[in-house]
Amino acid sequence: MAAEGDKFVYDPERNYDDATMAQIRVMENEIASQNNIVSDRLSLQTLMEEYADADDAFKLKIKDLESRYRYMRRTRGDGNCFYRAFGFACLEQFLTDSKTLPRFKEVAQKSRDELVSLGFPQFTIEDFHESFMAAIKQVEKQCSVTELSNIFNDQGLSDYIVVYLRLLVSGYLQKEADFFANFIEGERTVKEFCNQEVEPMGKESDHIHIIALTTTLDVPVRVEYMDRVDSEKCTQHNFPEESQPSIALLYRPGHYDILYS
Amino acid sequence: MAIEQSFLLLKKQLAELNKNPVEGFSAGLLDDEDMYKWEVLIYGPPDTLFEGGFFKAHLIFPKEYPLKPPKMIFQTEIFHPNIAKDGSVCISILHEPGDDKYGYEKASERWLPVHTVETILVSVISMLADPNDESPANVDAAKIWRENPDEFKKRVAKCVRKSQDAFE
Repeated sequence: MAAEGDKFVYDPERNYDDATMAQIRVMENEIASQNNIVSDRLSLQTLMEEYADADDAFKLKIKDLESRYRYMRRTRGDGNCFYRAFGFACLEQFLTDSKTLPRFKEVAQKSRDELVSLGFPQFTIEDFHESFMAAIKQVEKQCSVTELSNIFNDQGLSDYIVVYLRLLVSGYLQKEADFFANFIEGERTVKEFCNQEVEPMGKESDHIHIIALTTTLDVPVRVEYMDRVDSEKCTQHNFPEESQPSIALLYRPGHYDILYS
Repeated sequence: MAIEQSFLLLKKQLAELNKNPVEGFSAGLLDDEDMYKWEVLIYGPPDTLFEGGFFKAHLIFPKEYPLKPPKMIFQTEIFHPNIAKDGSVCISILHEPGDDKYGYEKASERWLPVHTVETILVSVISMLADPNDESPANVDAAKIWRENPDEFKKRVAKCVRKSQDAFE
């Protein structure tokens, strides 16, 4: 780093890339040291406390949330939060309602072969798939919520599950490429979009990712949007639209957490 | 746990490459005790200026592999627009998303967790045949490649000869 006041002179021999990445690493570590990957269940009160100094628009929205939800679980803001929030909430619901777990497990089990048939090399996706299946098997054995939380807070296991969920999204978007091509911004093919915005770790999720993951796993989700939109209530959206989701996520611009009624 | 996973994944790849070698390169560990440091030997691809050469390179994997990419550094001298003078390979798939300082075009593919030693080397071999002068790591090589093909040919031929001598 140049001392303050020094004029910046570009040195073509220097690799600024490494310096930038090193700085990003420092920021990542800071975020990682301050938050669990997935937190314990917290009262929604903590959300109100977080916005104590914010304008009334947010407070009204939190009040609105409080009329429908009682708890939340925070996820780490590392760009993978949608996958972790969805993955955790999805597996956690099977701990209390295991009726549909066998079907879910079958879908998850088969998904690897579907990815292989779409051209993903089996050799490389196997490990990610195994981590995902191992978590499902724990749930099948009726593990405790703490045990599930331990899996999602183990960086290695948790990241492997995220990689696999990203592959599922990528696979579904590519399978339905004709349809999704209409929703992709810029001059990109669906495959390019997947390589740039879906498969790399840390890339944030948009509607299109949510539609793909909820559809391919057949687990609907409700998202409560707490944003700057001028309204006293949070906007709700079910994925898919006509579904009756039993899991809910809270969206604040750039971030997803889990909500519980 | 993350450490164990990357260790196992690399071990699996090593076993697979020993069992089913891939055309164009051979791979092994630099030091039998360290799964995270590999030595690869790339055979200069046929019908390119690099044909006939033997290029040794190291692959250094982070503990977070495959979530983060390895670094690849040629040990054999090699004259190429996308290989820095210290041997570091600068190709888009070895860079994480968001890592834009070399100014790769937007559409180029970045590091993905599904990449393996094999997919990396396939990309590097294709890079040898087909340099990308939009994001050169060796500016001199890029300039000569663009402006003076004959001189570029000569410089590469010299590297190829030197690389062969090293194996005699």
